[in-house]
Amino acid sequence: MKRVMLGILILGIAGWVGCATTPSAHDDGDMHIPMTQHYEGSLFKATENGEFSVEVLLPDEKVEMGVNKVDLIIHSKEDKDVAGARITVTPWMPSMDHGVMEKPVVNEKGGGLYNVKNVVFTMTGDWELRLEITSGSTTDTVKIPMPPIGAMGHTHFMKAPDTSQIDTSMENDSMKGHFTVSFKSDVHPVPINRLHSWNLSVESADGKPVKNARIKILGDMPEHGHGFPTEPEVSGTMEDGKYMVEGLKFSMPGWWVVTFHITAGEMMDHVSFNLLLQ
Amino acid sequence: MTSIKRFQSLIPLVGLLLVLAIPGTGFTGVHEWSPEEVRTLKTLWIKSLPPVPPDPSNAYGDDEHAASLGRKFFFDKRFSGNAKVSCGTCHREDYAFTDDLPLAHGMGTTGRRSMTLIGSAYYPWLFWDGRKDSLWSQALGPLESTVEHGISRVFVASVVLEHYREEYEKIFGPLPTVEKLGQLPARPAADDPSAYKAWLKYSLEDREAVNRVYVNLGKAIAAYVRTILPGVSRFDEYVAAIDEGQTGELGDIFNEQEAQGLRIFIGKAKCTNCHSGSLFSNGEFHNLDIPVSDKMPFDAGRAEGINLVLGDEFNCLGPFSDTKGKKCQQLWFMDTDTRKYNGAMKTPTLRNVVERPPYMHAGQFSTINEVLDFYRRSENPDIEHQGLTDRDMRALEAFLGTLSGPILSLGE
Repeated sequence: MKRVMLGILILGIAGWVGCATTPSAHDDGDMHIPMTQHYEGSLFKATENGEFSVEVLLPDEKVEMGVNKVDLIIHSKEDKDVAGARITVTPWMPSMDHGVMEKPVVNEKGGGLYNVKNVVFTMTGDWELRLEITSGSTTDTVKIPMPPIGAMGHTHFMKAPDTSQIDTSMENDSMKGHFTVSFKSDVHPVPINRLHSWNLSVESADGKPVKNARIKILGDMPEHGHGFPTEPEVSGTMEDGKYMVEGLKFSMPGWWVVTFHITAGEMMDHVSFNLLLQ
Repeated sequence: MTSIKRFQSLIPLVGLLLVLAIPGTGFTGVHEWSPEEVRTLKTLWIKSLPPVPPDPSNAYGDDEHAASLGRKFFFDKRFSGNAKVSCGTCHREDYAFTDDLPLAHGMGTTGRRSMTLIGSAYYPWLFWDGRKDSLWSQALGPLESTVEHGISRVFVASVVLEHYREEYEKIFGPLPTVEKLGQLPARPAADDPSAYKAWLKYSLEDREAVNRVYVNLGKAIAAYVRTILPGVSRFDEYVAAIDEGQTGELGDIFNEQEAQGLRIFIGKAKCTNCHSGSLFSNGEFHNLDIPVSDKMPFDAGRAEGINLVLGDEFNCLGPFSDTKGKKCQQLWFMDTDTRKYNGAMKTPTLRNVVERPPYMHAGQFSTINEVLDFYRRSENPDIEHQGLTDRDMRALEAFLGTLSGPILSLGE
C-alpha cells in the first residue's frame, strides 16, 4: 500500500510540473514515437480507433478480488498528455459476460494522470477494464485485460499478525465512513463447519437505518488464500437497516476476514470484520 | 532487589514443589493441558458429536424397518452384474466399512479408493468429490456404474420385485407392476447408447415406477448407513478423564508418546485445520497435490463434483427428494466456483484410521508414516505441517492409533 501511495504521490508531483510522462527523453530532445509505453510494468494499449494510448498502473502489478485502485495515464495519438478527459471505467468479466454493480470513481490528477478508485472485482478469474475516453469531440474505447485473479482467491498468502493485534469488533465503520455496520450470529460463538445466519445492521454516518441497500459478501482466510465453502446470500431489507445473511459456513479454525460491499443510493462502501475462530 | 521481592519470586516455585509433594496428584507433565487446549480437545471428542442430523430429502431415513431392509440390500450380491458384488464388498463390515485396496474394485476397477462409511450421515457431501448430497443418492451411484455393481435401475427393480416384495410393500406401499420387466440393462446412461435406447422404450409411467423403486432402495440403504457410527475410542476416554478432573488417570489411558502426539496434532502440526470436530473432518474439499500414478488420468475432484451434484436427478432439489427449496440448504448455498476446487478431494475422517490402510483418494500411501511424511514435506498453505521432527512423526502416529474404537451399526 505504501508503494502505491508513493507512486501516486510521485505521479501527482510529476503531473503538477506539467507532464506525467517525465522521461529524460524530453531533456535529450529526442522525439517520442507515438503510442509509446512510458512506464515499466504498466499495461499499455492503444484505443480501438487509435485516438489514445492508455497505460494502466497497478499496485504491485496485480489486482485482487475485492476493491482495487488503479492509475491511468492517457496520451493522445500525438503522444501528448490528455487533460480534462471524461473517462468511464467498467470492470468486466468477459467469460461470464457481466460487470459489477460498483462504479469506479475517476479523479483527474493532471498531466494525463487519472486515479481510479473503487475498482471492484467480485470473483476469481480473468477480468478486463473497459474504458470509454472522451476528450473534446473525440471518443474512443479500449478493453484492457487484467492479470488473472488467482484461483485460490489471491495468489499470495498473508502471515497472520499477532492474533492479539487483530481487531475482532462486531461493529465497524465502513472504509469511506458512509456506514456503520454490525453483525449478530444466530449461533454463538460463530461456529466452525456449520451453516448458519447472521443479522446485519447497517446505519448511515448520521445514525439512521439504511434502507434497501444492496449487499454482497466476501469471505477470506488471508493465511490460506481461500474463502467460504459456500455462497452466502444477503437478503433484502428485513426491516429498516436490518439484513439477513444466510448460508455462512467457516470450514477452518483461524483468522477469517468477512467483507460486505454495500451500495445504498449513490453511496458505495465496504466494511470488513475479523474473526478468530477456534 | 529487596529481600521481600526476592521472596515473592520464589512463591510459584514453592507452590509447584507443594503440588509435587502431595501424594496421588503426581506431576503429570505431558498430560497437563491448558484451558484453551481442553476447549479444543472437547471439540474433537465423541460427546460433541450431535445426534445424526435429519435428512429432510429422505422421509425413510430414520425408519427402523427401512434400515433393517436397507441392511439386507447392502449385503445382497444379487444386486450386481456377476452376482458377486454388494455394497459390503467395498464397504466391508470387518474393515471399518471400507476395503484394503488402493482403488475400489467391483465388476471392474474404479479411479478412486472406497471411502469408509463411519459417520457418513453427518456429511453434506458424499464421495471424494462430493458429487452426491445425500446418502440415498450416494447409494444409487455405484449400482449403475459399470465398474462397480454393473447393473441398471430396471435390474434393481426386478430384484426387489422378485425377492423383497413383502418387506418393501410394508414400508413403501404397493410395488408397481412393471410389464415386461426383465433383467434388462435399461438405464438413462450417457456411457451406453444401447442401454439408453432400451430405457427410452419404456413408457413415462413405467420409467417413473422403476425410478421410484430404485430411489426407495437407496433411501432404505441410507437408513441403514445412517446407523454406522463411531464408538468410544481411547482418545475419547482420555478427554473424558480430563473433563472429569481425573488427571491422575491420564497416564493410564495414554502413554507419553500418545499425549505428545495429541499435543502436536492440535498444536504445531495444525491437523485440526481440516480434521476438525468429532469426526476429525471438516467435510470440505482441498487439493493437497498428492502425487498419483502417471497411468491415471487427471482427476478434477470437487471441481467436477460441483457440476455433477447440480445436474443430478437424485439431488435434494430433484423430483425424488422429500423436501425442496431452501430446505436443501447445503445445495442451495453450495459454492459453485469450480475453479477453486480443481483436484480438490474431501477431507476423510480419522476415526479408526490406523485400521484401514491404504490412504488418500487413490490409495497412494500404504502406511500412516508415508502420509505424515508427505504432509511434512508439503508447502501447501492449508497443510502447514512443516518443521515436524522424526520424533514428532512417531508421536503423531502413536496418537492416531488412539482414535480407534468399536464401530456401531445396525445388526441383523
